[in-house]
Amino acid sequence: MLEALVSFLTVIAVTPLMIRLGRRAGIVGVDVHKSSKPVIPKTGGLALILGSLIALLIHVLLNHDSLSLIFLSTGLIAGFIGFLEDFRGEMNPKLKPTLLLLASIPILVTGSYVPRPVIPFIGRTRLYKIYPILVALAYPVACNAVNSVDVLNGSMIYTSIPFFAMSSIIAYYRGDSFTLTTSLICISILVALIPYNRYPAKIFPGNSGSLFIGGLMASTAILGRIEVAAIIALLPQIMNEMHVIFSIGGIKSAKQVKSRPVEFVDGFLTASKDRDAPITLVRLLSAGARVGERTMAYMMGVLAAFTSILAILTDLFLVEAWV
Amino acid sequence: MKLLRNFVAVLGLLAIVWATFLLVSYILASTLFPAIEQASQNILASILRVIAGLATFTAWVLIWYTLTKIWLYEVLLRE
Repeated sequence: MLEALVSFLTVIAVTPLMIRLGRRAGIVGVDVHKSSKPVIPKTGGLALILGSLIALLIHVLLNHDSLSLIFLSTGLIAGFIGFLEDFRGEMNPKLKPTLLLLASIPILVTGSYVPRPVIPFIGRTRLYKIYPILVALAYPVACNAVNSVDVLNGSMIYTSIPFFAMSSIIAYYRGDSFTLTTSLICISILVALIPYNRYPAKIFPGNSGSLFIGGLMASTAILGRIEVAAIIALLPQIMNEMHVIFSIGGIKSAKQVKSRPVEFVDGFLTASKDRDAPITLVRLLSAGARVGERTMAYMMGVLAAFTSILAILTDLFLVEAWV
Repeated sequence: MKLLRNFVAVLGLLAIVWATFLLVSYILASTLFPAIEQASQNILASILRVIAGLATFTAWVLIWYTLTKIWLYEVLLRE
């Protein structure tokens, strides 16, 4: 696939420039899980955006496929909201999900959705009225879910690759070349960022990166018509986001939460025993144990791979009969 | 060893959440939805189906959260 190769090479080539840009523009964050607390640029998301932008524009030129522009624009809106947060500092925690509703506009305005998702055992539904509302809600949910697992070096990438591998496999056996191409592009840009974002990270994807990827996931689910498989594949990320909101009693800024979910002691992560601390995936995995950051990120990736396999099995045996 | 135990426990939790999702879909498809279809027709049946679906989804999410809390405090963080 030419587009996937181009996106891979673009991210590999532009990420060093983004590291310099991030430092120069002061778009940086502290890597809190290191003893030396290094300051790392948060501009990896811009490399991801550039890589997919070039690849999808090539795809549009070669195939005259306007759906790619709709797909890309949803991600760009989400990514721009993330970039604003990276550049200007933390946004009002209630304003962010509201703004992320805007990412659904390209799909809603162009009517590029089919309001008849297949639900296992129930079959093909007719959600003509409620589906557009679900499309709008999909963006804040997916974007914040991906954003919530971007807490360790490499963790966002390791948990996102299995999702797009899942959508590639389903698109392949359905013969859906559009979803296959876009999913392979997403895998390529994420794989290309691994050498820079893996432990010890030289760059963070930032909010621009995690919201961009979350936006593309929501669009993959809607345009690729893999809604149920997408929910199942995203269970670890959704669990992380939802449990944080429930355990701290609503959508709040991290600064408003007094107790941290994990403690960083002697270079290892260990779960907080405080009942007021947010319940997160990292806290669950490090309960009563001392875990290195690199190991924890890999484990989160394996969990995402596990739910992606469950998603493929669900689609293959319980959804395909109605497609 | 504790790390492996935690990993298997979270893997199990995710498998349970997935299985309950399928179980709930099956129960809805075989009991509630046909009953609604029989009791009323057209628009009312559609509205009732959506309400039943959303209520069940909410209940599933709450059960999931309760299960995770039990998992964390009674199993994983128990000395």
